[in-house]
This record gives sequence, C-alpha cells and structure tokens, in this order.
Amino acid sequence: MQELDTVIALSRTQFAATALYHYLFVPLTLGLSVLLATMETIYVVTGRDIYRRMTHFWAKLFAINFALGVATGLTMEFEFGTNWSTYSHFVGDIFGAPLAIEGLMAFFLESTFVGLMLFGWGKLSRGKHLLVTYMVALGSNLSALWILVANGYMQKPIGSSFNPDTMRMELTSFTDLIFSPEAQAKFVHTSIAGYLTAALFVLGISAFYMLRGRHLELAKRSFRVAALFGLFASVGVISLGDALGFINGSAQPTKLAAMEGLWETAEAPAGFNLIAWPNQDEQRNDFELQVPYLLTPLVTHGFEESIPGVKDLVADAETKIRNGIPALTALRTLRENPDDAQALEQFEAHQDNLGYALLVQRYAEDVSQATDAQIARAAADTIPPVATVFWSFRVMVGTAFLMMAFLIVSVIYSLRDTLLEKRWLLRVAPWMIPVPFIANEAGWIVAELGRQPWTVYGQLPTWLSASTHSVEYMIFSLTGFVLLYTLFIIIEMFLMVKFIRLGPSEPAKAPVADSGPHRHSSQWSEI
Amino acid sequence: MDIYILLKVTWWVLLGVLLIGLAVMVGMDMGVGAALRYFGRTDGERRAVINMIAPHWDGNQVWFILGGGAVFAAWPTIYATAFSGLYVVMLVLLWSMIVRPLGFEYRGKMTSDRWRGAWDWMLFVSGAVPMIVFGAAIGNMLEGVPFHFTWNMVSYYTGSFISLFNPFAVLCGVMSLALALYQGSAMVMNRGTGVIRERAIRLLTLSGLVALALFTICGVWVAMMHGYEITAGGDPAGPALPLNKVVETSAGAWLNNFIAHPLLWLVPALVYLAVLAGIASARAGRSLFAWWAGALAWACTIITVGIAMFPFMMPSSSEPSQSLTVWDASSSQGTLAWMLAFTLVFVPIICIYTSWAFWVMRGKVTPESIAHDEHAY
Amino acid sequence: MKQILLFIFWLCVAMVAIALTIVLGERGAWYFAWVVGTVMIVLIAAAGTAIIDARYEEEHD
Repeated sequence: MQELDTVIALSRTQFAATALYHYLFVPLTLGLSVLLATMETIYVVTGRDIYRRMTHFWAKLFAINFALGVATGLTMEFEFGTNWSTYSHFVGDIFGAPLAIEGLMAFFLESTFVGLMLFGWGKLSRGKHLLVTYMVALGSNLSALWILVANGYMQKPIGSSFNPDTMRMELTSFTDLIFSPEAQAKFVHTSIAGYLTAALFVLGISAFYMLRGRHLELAKRSFRVAALFGLFASVGVISLGDALGFINGSAQPTKLAAMEGLWETAEAPAGFNLIAWPNQDEQRNDFELQVPYLLTPLVTHGFEESIPGVKDLVADAETKIRNGIPALTALRTLRENPDDAQALEQFEAHQDNLGYALLVQRYAEDVSQATDAQIARAAADTIPPVATVFWSFRVMVGTAFLMMAFLIVSVIYSLRDTLLEKRWLLRVAPWMIPVPFIANEAGWIVAELGRQPWTVYGQLPTWLSASTHSVEYMIFSLTGFVLLYTLFIIIEMFLMVKFIRLGPSEPAKAPVADSGPHRHSSQWSEI
Repeated sequence: MDIYILLKVTWWVLLGVLLIGLAVMVGMDMGVGAALRYFGRTDGERRAVINMIAPHWDGNQVWFILGGGAVFAAWPTIYATAFSGLYVVMLVLLWSMIVRPLGFEYRGKMTSDRWRGAWDWMLFVSGAVPMIVFGAAIGNMLEGVPFHFTWNMVSYYTGSFISLFNPFAVLCGVMSLALALYQGSAMVMNRGTGVIRERAIRLLTLSGLVALALFTICGVWVAMMHGYEITAGGDPAGPALPLNKVVETSAGAWLNNFIAHPLLWLVPALVYLAVLAGIASARAGRSLFAWWAGALAWACTIITVGIAMFPFMMPSSSEPSQSLTVWDASSSQGTLAWMLAFTLVFVPIICIYTSWAFWVMRGKVTPESIAHDEHAY
Repeated sequence: MKQILLFIFWLCVAMVAIALTIVLGERGAWYFAWVVGTVMIVLIAAAGTAIIDARYEEEHD
C-alpha cells in the first residue's frame, strides 16, 4: 500500500509536470497562429510591405515556440498509456476517439501547413499563402477542440456507460460526447485564453522596441493589432470562465465548493469569499473576507438556489459509497460467473455509484467488509485540496481582470496614437508577458486538481488509474523528464531572447556583410 | 458476417496501414537524420540535406502521433498494456524523438560550429534510436511479452527492461534502421545534387542489402521460434475482454497462416523483389522509383509480420491465454464505427493536401539555394 | 455551362454552411460563438490596425 501510494504520487507529479510544461507553449501557439493570420490578412488586403515583414518576424518567434509545443506534445500523446494504463483501458473506448480524431483532423492540418507557412513564401501566391496561414491557425485550434472534448469527458462523463462484459466504460452516444457543454465551454475558454496570451506577448515585445526607439513603424502596428485582438479576447475569456463556473456548479459540486472555499452549504443570498485561509483538517476558513450577496448570482445566475458546501458533499459521498458497494461485489461475482442473473440485477441497480465503491477499495480490498471508518475516510477523499484550488482560482481570475484593464488602457492610447508619450505603459508592457502564462497554469490547476480524487469524475478514482510501475521506474522517468525539459527551456529562452533582441528585418538599410536576419530583406519584394 | 468482426478486421488492417505510413514517412526523415553526417561533410551540405525534409518532417511525424492516437481509440487494451509494459523502451523512444523537432528548428538559429555539431549528433541519435526501438518493439511482439491481468483488468508487466533488447529484437531493430536509411537515401537522392546525391546512392545500396540479409535471418528465426495458437474460446464476435480463451505455444506456429494459404508467401517474396528493384533503379538514376520500391518493401515487411501473427496482436509469454488478439483487444462496435467514418472522410483529405505540400516544395535543394532564405533551417 | 456548374458548386457550399450553422447553433452554441467571435476579433483587429496607414495618408495629402 505504501509503495502504491508513492507510485501514484510520482505518476501524478510526472503527469502534472509534463502537462504544465507542455501548456507553457500551447496557448502561445493557439493565439499567435490566429494573430499571424490577422497580420497577414492586413498585408494581403492593403499590400503594404511592412505587414509582410511583420508577419515574417512574428512567424520566426512562432516557430521557436512551436517546436517545443510539438516536442512536448509527443509525451502527452503517449503518457496515458505509459503511466495511466488502467485509466486507458477503463475509458479508452471513449477517451481514445477524440485523441485519434485530433491527429486526423488537426495535427496533420497544422503540421503540414506550418511547413508551407514557414518555407513557402517564395513558392506560393499571396492569397494561397494566406490560406495556408489560416489552415495553421485552424489546425492548432482544432487540436485544442479535440483534446478538450477528451478532457471534458474526464470532467463530466456523458455519452457512455459501464459494460460488465468488458470491464470498462463504453461509448453510447458520440454526439453527446462532442457536444458536451463542459467540453464546449472549456474549448472556447482555452482557445481564447491562447489569443490573450499571444496578444500580451506581441504587445510586450512591441513596447520593448518602442521604448528603445527601434523598429517604430512595425512596433506601433504590431502593438495596435495585438491590443485590439487582446482586448476582445480578455472579455471573451472572462465571460467563458463564468459560463464554465456555472456548468461546473452542476457537474462538479466538489470543485465548486473548493474554488469558493465553502465548508457549509451556502443559502441564498450567500457572500463571496474574496480572501480566505481554508483549513482542510478542521473544515473551516481560518480567516475570510466576504463580499455580501455576491456568490449566489455569480455561481447560480439566479437569486434563490443554495450552493452545497464541503460538509454536506462529504455526507452525500458517504451515501453514494454505501450505495455503490453492492455494485462492486456483484461485478466480482459476475466475473466468475457471467450468467449469474441475480448478480447482474444487483449490479444494474447500483452501477451509478460504482466509482464511489472503487474509492473505498483503496482502504478495504474486500469492499463488502469496509468499516465505517474506512468509508468515512474515502468520503473525505472526495474533496480536492481546498486551499490550492481556492487560491489558484483567485490568481486566475485576478490576473484575467488585470490583463483586461491593461488592455483597455493600451487600446485607448494606441488609438489616440500617444503611446510614445506614455513611457510608463511601455515600461509595464514587457512585464505583462508572463502574466497570461501564470493565469493559464493556474487555470490548469483549478480544472485538474479540482477534479481530484477522480481521473474520470465520479467513475474512476485516481489511485486506481496508474500503471503498476515500481518506484525505481518512476524515479528514473521523472528524473529524465526534469533534466531534458530543463535543458529545453534554457535553449528556448536563449533563442527567444536572441531573436527578440535582433528584431525584425528593416528594409533599405541592409548592408550585405551584416549578419543575422537583416541580410536578405529584399528578396520577398517580388512576391 | 457479423458487423463487429468486420470492424475489428478493418481496424486491424488500418493499424497496418498506419504502421506502414509511420515506417515509410517518419522512417525516411529518421534515415536522413541518422545519416546526416554521412550525406553532408560541410555545414553547407548538411543544411542542404536538412532543408530537403524541412518543410515536411513535421507533417510526417504526425503519422507517429496518429499511430498513438489510433491505437488508443481502436485498440485501447493494447495501448494500455504495451505502452506501460514497454515503459523504459517507450521512454527511450520518446526522449530521443522529442529532441528531433528542436534539432530541426534550432540547429540553424546559431552559426557556431559547436552548436551545429551538437545538434547534428542530436539528429543522429533521434534518427537512429527511434527506428531501432520501433523494430525491436515489433520483434518483441513476435516473441511475446511477459504480462498478465488481474480480475478487474489491471495489467502487470513482469519482465525486466533489458530483456526487451534480446538478440532477436535487436536484429529486428537494426533491420528497421536499415530500411529507414534506404528510404532516407532515396529522398536525399531525389532532391540532392552532385556529391550528396552520389553518397545517397551508395548508402541506399548498402542499407538495402543489409536489410535483405537481416530480413532473411529474422525470417528463419521466426519460423523456428515458439508461435502462439488459440485452442479454445476466442470468439471473433465476442466482447473485448482477453480473459476468456485458451492459448498454446508451439515451435513454428507463426507459419500456420502461410501454410494454410500458400499464396501469402508472395508477400515476403515481394520484399526481396522490391529492394533489389529499388537498388537497381537507384543505380540507374531513378530516385522516385527507388523511393516507391522502398515503401513497398516496408509495407510487405509489416504485412508479413501481420500475417504471421494474425489474429494475435500482443501475445503474453507469461500467461499465453491472456494474450491480446484482434478479437478481444478492440474498442466497442460504436467507437470502431465512428472512428472508421472519420478515417474515411479525413484520410483522403489529408492525402490531397500532403501531396499538394510536397508538390509546392518540389525541386532540388542545394547549399546555394538555401543560403538566401531567412526561414531555412 | 461552366458558369452553371460553378453556381451549383457554390450553392452546395452555401447549403452545407447553412446546415452546419443550424446544427452548431442548436447543439453547440459555444462552438458557434467561438467561430463568430474569432472571425469578429480578427476583422476588428485587422481593420483597427489598417486605419493607421489610412490616417497617415490623409495627413500627408
């Protein structure tokens, strides 16, 4: 049991580390591809060369980021099998499908056209090249769509049912799966968060140039396009975040309770915890600062409903565990004798709560013998780590509003064309570049840590999902990933900074002997 | 015929198509990477070689990613069991493969010799190692892997990772590398000029002959090793649960399908024919024909393995009756059907735009032609 | 003849687009919102930037 706990902990650490790392590069790819398409649209419509150079420059930074996104994405595609084999078997019938479709529909599109986008400038007409860039943007966002359909299933499993003949979940409705409200809201939220990330990236670097008085014309235009793009994205990301919270309220009450630090069920009209110190052991907040009446309309989009708190949710989980235990014992009987009609009847009567019985199996190998203490312990497990989820959520929301405020100011000064006078704004902008990345990672933590102790909410507990590796194997692989990924990020940051300092190529003043991207600035003029 | 059986067999065929696509397209790029230091002696030559595949390696690599996704969707039990069982091998494969995108993308971003030299070696490792692992994995499938399931389908792997690199598996791995080098050489020959092209022809000849020799040795080995046979249960239309059958092993059982259908011997024979014809046409200067001949050789190699093992996909050496077969390791009927629909719609579309991409970027790549491109690697 | 075929082709494209819009609007309201929203963001950002050049030209004239 001790060893199992260690392996689970290490497997979770490895998955979280590789996913969070991968997710440093993905949002920028999602957003910058669309932003590149926007820039190139201006070039094709106006025919002004400055927009071509602009697209070229940002495409170079896009490529540096894209390579690491692809590289670390390989890990994700295989890690479900290598480290979460029981999970992969249990829901592979449903979860595998969107992953395969992602390959068919999105990765091929994105990867084939990214080659043409970077290398095809001289070989394609303007219109065709623009189409290629749009295909890259579409492909990368479609890949987000399908992976979030898969993730949406983990958050709210619909369109499936457990089949005792094959001992796994099986697909019952494909359309329910792809049109799951959870998946829809998650996709739009994530995709637009990518737009916001890219906007602040472009904004920050453009401001850096303006501050130095370099590449002014290009920087001014890049700033404008990014500021407008980002402003709308920030509004979208916040409204979708609200929608997602609303959907979560019914799909995952435990996550919602953790996000809001609610220990007691909150009768309407409840106050919103602006700041709190959640104390999980004693099931209360050591300190809280509330905004009265705000929570109920925020979460329920109404004024009457109450919001269940942790204590009631634990009691509810205990009932479900007791209700689920007969399903698990019947399943075991069925494995020995598939024709046992009585066992099948018992299974069908209780199968909705099968997952809850698996929670208690962690403490009692034979669940029919589980003691009250074991059941209570399993019930307490159903609450995710409240403090971490609570604060990650506040970091995400706080940074989102900060970015929106910053973008409003940026748009105003950009439209008035007084940016160069607002030195403070230009000085702050580069420091805004990391902010969306922090928000993205915090969002991942809210979504995935808030889902614990489940891999598939209400169906499969995390403790049962991992592969049965030894501790040594896990230490080996985790060490390998940490070393490789650390090396990668050092190289990536080094190249990023180098090419940002070099800046875009400028026309006319390009001495032939000069090194770097200045060299061949005139060769596209004939396109 | 039961529609579920039909779907299972269709997906078995599609898995073969995927493996062939992966071997041919990714293998080609890996061959180019592995032999980069041979094709190009100067940095200019090496850059020319890299830029021959620069616009396409990323698209080609999707075959690999799609391979993972499709196995997950259509054969979830195999995805779960194989990838976790072969853990250390999978990690070696992953780690060597994730260096590759960086090798392509970052190598040309700095001009220092040490920087580029280091990435050249990275490209060598990330070309050679994955192909050896790919071949070794197929070799291990032929031999059987020690795994078993508990009553609730939690899988346990009981072997050591060193045993995955046994002599037979390593031979299969080297053969896979040889075919990759052949395919890469054909590509470099097609898009290269002068001395680069000549080196490619030389490497193509050598690797083709090595591949044939290893194919022969491995073939004899397979004929003599313990194969697997279902002796009871294993209903083709049954539910996807690999616990309800009896499997026995006997020497030479992998030849059963060939003995039952002698016409199938044509498939391995075609491997010889394709490689020899490919070498001959390469020496006659016809690179495109040599490339397609190599692709045919890859296809027939993988089909040969498929025929030998059918209906087995991943036999268990420690608990043969829990081996994974076409009949009991697949997804449900609904998932297989939906996935087939998506495949039928999207694969033709993919073929169209991939061909268009190759057509747009067609033509010779020389050290001179890339010296004036801002985005070239 | 070619004109008619072209007309029919675009008619079919339009029909498919309308059908997709209806299905998306009905079952996937958020997906639909994403499509509309992205197009809107791209167009506004592009137009808002192109104004810079238009203004400069006015000033120079």
